[in-house]
This record gives sequence, structure tokens and C-alpha cells, in this order.
Amino acid sequence: MDSMNANGHDTSVVRMENIVKRFGTVTALDGVDFTVNPREVVALVGDNGAGKSTLIKILTGVYTPTGGQIYFEGRPVQIRSPREARALGIETVYQDLALVNLMSITRNFFLGRELVSKIGLIRWLRLREMHAQTQTSLRDIGIEVRSPAEKVEKLSGGERQSIAIGRALHFGAKLLILDEPTSALSVAETRKVLTYTLNAKERGLSVIFITHNIHHVFMVADRYTLIRHGKLVGNYAKGELTHDDIADLITGARAS
Amino acid sequence: MSTVAVWRKGARGLLAESTIAGPLATLIVVFILCWLFVPNFRSLRSISGIVSAATLTGTIAIGVTLLMISGEFDLSVGSLVAVGGYLYAFNTMDGGSPVVAVSLAILVPAALGALNGLILIWTRIPSFIVTLGTRSIYRGALWVLSTGALVETLEDLTIYDIFNGRLDVLSNLAEGANFRTSLLWLLGMVVIFQYVLTRTRYGNHVFAAGGNPAAAQAQGVNVKRLKVICFVISGALAGFTGILLFSQFKSVRVTTGAGIELSAIAAAVVGGALLSGGSGSIWGSLIGVLLISTLRTGVVLLDLPFIPADNFEAVVGVTIVGATILNSWVRRRS
Repeated sequence: MDSMNANGHDTSVVRMENIVKRFGTVTALDGVDFTVNPREVVALVGDNGAGKSTLIKILTGVYTPTGGQIYFEGRPVQIRSPREARALGIETVYQDLALVNLMSITRNFFLGRELVSKIGLIRWLRLREMHAQTQTSLRDIGIEVRSPAEKVEKLSGGERQSIAIGRALHFGAKLLILDEPTSALSVAETRKVLTYTLNAKERGLSVIFITHNIHHVFMVADRYTLIRHGKLVGNYAKGELTHDDIADLITGARAS
Repeated sequence: MSTVAVWRKGARGLLAESTIAGPLATLIVVFILCWLFVPNFRSLRSISGIVSAATLTGTIAIGVTLLMISGEFDLSVGSLVAVGGYLYAFNTMDGGSPVVAVSLAILVPAALGALNGLILIWTRIPSFIVTLGTRSIYRGALWVLSTGALVETLEDLTIYDIFNGRLDVLSNLAEGANFRTSLLWLLGMVVIFQYVLTRTRYGNHVFAAGGNPAAAQAQGVNVKRLKVICFVISGALAGFTGILLFSQFKSVRVTTGAGIELSAIAAAVVGGALLSGGSGSIWGSLIGVLLISTLRTGVVLLDLPFIPADNFEAVVGVTIVGATILNSWVRRRS
């Protein structure tokens, strides 16, 4: 996982160095390094409470790190809010808080980035255009919806995940973070979400896939980053480890 | 697909898309029943009475609905009606400036609304509790400042006619009909706020903040600021209701507007708003207000021995529960 090219130039999409996060006296992250390269699907693996979410929340601007440095596309950055993370091109799809169930697909798709026209003080949403863009954009990555005006509550868990992924792609994400995207899905729906993940990679995105279910991630991950008790266990390339190896490393049954 | 099937599919689609289909159907059924069976109901006089009685609660219900969609409650609006009423009364009477009167009667309740929102954000106490407190505090402060005096006037100012005078164009249609200009103000507000809610970015964020605050926040919506703005609007509309009220009755007392907040919440719920937030419409709440007003008039005119005219509250209670059951049934089916 060498992110330097021949000239010693940093080619990584994101590089987090020596990240420390303390909540009061509790140390959630203790000097973790984490790198994602272009067009790479990285599985961030660890047990519940290992520090996966904390690390990601630092990357998405929800938490401020106690120590360490983040580089985005080689430049040192400070990410102070989710809005700043999005401005950089970091899009996150959360497990259950991705969409507003009582709102339509279109209104969810454009939430916070609505298309608005105005004449003087009067402003209005360009709903028809937003419907059309939503439908086209979802179709492009292989998602068919009956109507973009349909409420999200009518959709299945997998459809909701795919719409959230489609939204991230539409708005030009460079780095897509999927937080436990498959943990509540059926086998068939999991397969679909994994397909969209690969589609995203083919379109040139990098993906961080957070999970504690290694079976799901085996299909798509190029590399695994394992963390345990707030510390980096190690980085492993695809094929380097078996299911059992990873399971042992997650639980600490075997030392790295 | 047969024509019938297409029609049924279309009808079901309409029910699914429109949150007001259920409430509207209920209003029409109740109105027809009253029309057929209630003596003296079939007159422009009683219909104008229903409409005029609905305008004040209707104006309050707009702000209350907006807040309920965003996931919050405002129980202090009844007190703010009295605050607005006093400020308007004191500043219009005895040659005061109408501009100053109207500005104060709207801006002071708006500021008190902002205070509701800020307390909510600073303390994270549920707005139901915050406004249950400020509801008494605002009315208590009013009691102190006004020394509890009833304020009334016999003056006949143009400004009173503008805000809530007789609407002669409609009222002259029939003997005893009493349509008032507050109806036009209400309709204007309903159109504006329904537009804001369904056709602007702000409205989109109101639904999102109530439906799933974490998702809204994650998409960059400033949920806290949005809620404070909703409270400001609710306060301003309460002050405006005070203006309409004093313009019509030419009197205001410390207890004015007491209980109107509960009627407004009831109307919003009857009109399809969810107590948990994320759903509702201004049209729906207007229908809710009209439904309650129609039932009130119907019950009073029926003059039933076991439901005296001043016990219509019981009937209103039955409607609220009934309408809510019907709404959730429609919601599940669609």
C-alpha cells in the first residue's frame, strides 16, 4: 500500500497519519494510520467498538481529532464539518440515517443541494428537472425506480442504500464511504449493493467499506485495514488472508 | 388493465400522493350530513359563521403545523395572541401610529418565539415542555405589564376594517351573513406558507428536519437554525392573530387566546400532520379547522338535550380521535 509514486509524490486520495482521538480519559483511537488510493475499495474492518466509526467520523468532519494529520489528494486539510467533507468530495452513506423516509426519492436525492430558480425575492424548486435528473442518474448506475416522486418509505432496505449511493455518485464524490451498508439486508439485496460498489470503483471512485461482516466484503475489497481497540492491526492485500485469518485478527485470537 | 382497475389505481395513487384526501373526504361527509339533518344549517348565515369562526384558529394553525412538521410543538401561541392583541390595542387607540402598532404586535411575539427556539436548542429540553413553561411565563408577564386590565375601544378605525372588518361583497349576498376580511388574510397566508413548504428549499428542509434530523444534518441542513426560524414564524403568526382578533372584537384581556393552541394542534392532526414530525400540510390544517368549526356549529344548532351547546368540546374530541384513526388507516392502505 505504498502511496508514493516513483518521484516520491503522494498519489493517495486520502491519507490519515497518526490519528489520536480521546473522549475525556478514554482513548478511542491511538495513533492510527489509514490510506486510501485512487480506484481502490478498502475494507475497514474491526469489531464493534474497535474505533472504525470514530475514525470515519473524523474523516467526515463530525469529530475533530485530538492529534494527527489528514491529507486529501496530497494536501494537508482540516475537516471541520460534514459540509467541508462534502466540499472536498467525501460522501458518506450511513446505515440508517441516509434518507428521510417520509420524503420522495427526488427530494432526498437533492436534499441540501436543491436546484432553485429565483426572480427577485421569489425562489422556487425546479422539481421537474430534479425528478428527471434523479431518474437518469439512478438509471446510469443500474437502478430502476418506479417513480422518483415515490416516497422512500415504500422502498426496500437495499433500494434505499442504492439510492444513497447513487446520490453520492451524482454529486461527484471522489471518495465514497459506506457505513455497514449490508448489515440489515437480505442476501439478494446485499449482492446488489456490492455490485453498485464495484460500479462506483469502475467510475473512478475510491470506496471505504466499513463492516464487521467479512463475507460481504470479500467480494469487493482490494485491501483490508484492520483495527482493534483503537489501534491499527495491519493492512492486507486481497488474497493475502483467508476468512478465518481475518476473523482471528478482528477478535484478537491471533496477534498480527 | 380494465378501465375500473385503472381508475382504482389512479384513485389509490391520489390517496398515496395527497395527505389531504382523507381529511377533505371527512369534511365533505360531515358537511353534507349537517346540510341534510341539522335544522337552520342550510343558510349563508350559518356557513359564514363557520368560516369566520375558523379564521383566527386557522392563522394560528399555519405556524403550529409548520412546527409540527419540523418535529416541534408550540404551546405558547395562545399567550402570544394576547401579547400581540395588547400591543396592537395600546398602539392603535387614541391616535397611535398603525405602522408602529402592527410592527410591534408582530415583532415582539416573533422575538418571544425565537426565545422558545433558543431555549430548546440550548437546553435540549423537548419543545412541548419548553413552551408549556413559556406559555405561562408570557401570559404572566402580560398580566404584570397590563396590570390585568381589560382593554376595549369604541373607536372605528380604518385599520380595524382592513384587518378584520365586514367583507361586504360576500356578506351582502344574504341577510345575516357575516364574512370578514380576516378570511382573505387567512387565505393569503395559507397560499404563501403552502408554497414555502412544498416549493422552496426551506420547506424541503422543514420536512427533512422533522422526518429524520440526523439524515438532514448529514446532508448539510442546519437543523437548529431551521427550527428557530420555525418558532419565529409561529410567534409572528400568533401576533398577527392578535391583530385580527382585536380588529374584530375591539377588546382584549389577559386570558384572550387561551386554549387556541390545542385547537390548532387538533386541526393539524385532523389535517394529516404527524405528532412525530415529517408530515403534514397547511391545506390539511385549514380543512381540520373548518371541520371542527362545522361540527361546533352543527352541534349548537342541533340543540340536543344530552349535548348542550357549550359541551361541543366532547364532539370535537370524538372527531379528533376518529379523524386520526381514519388518517392512519388511509396512510397504511396507500
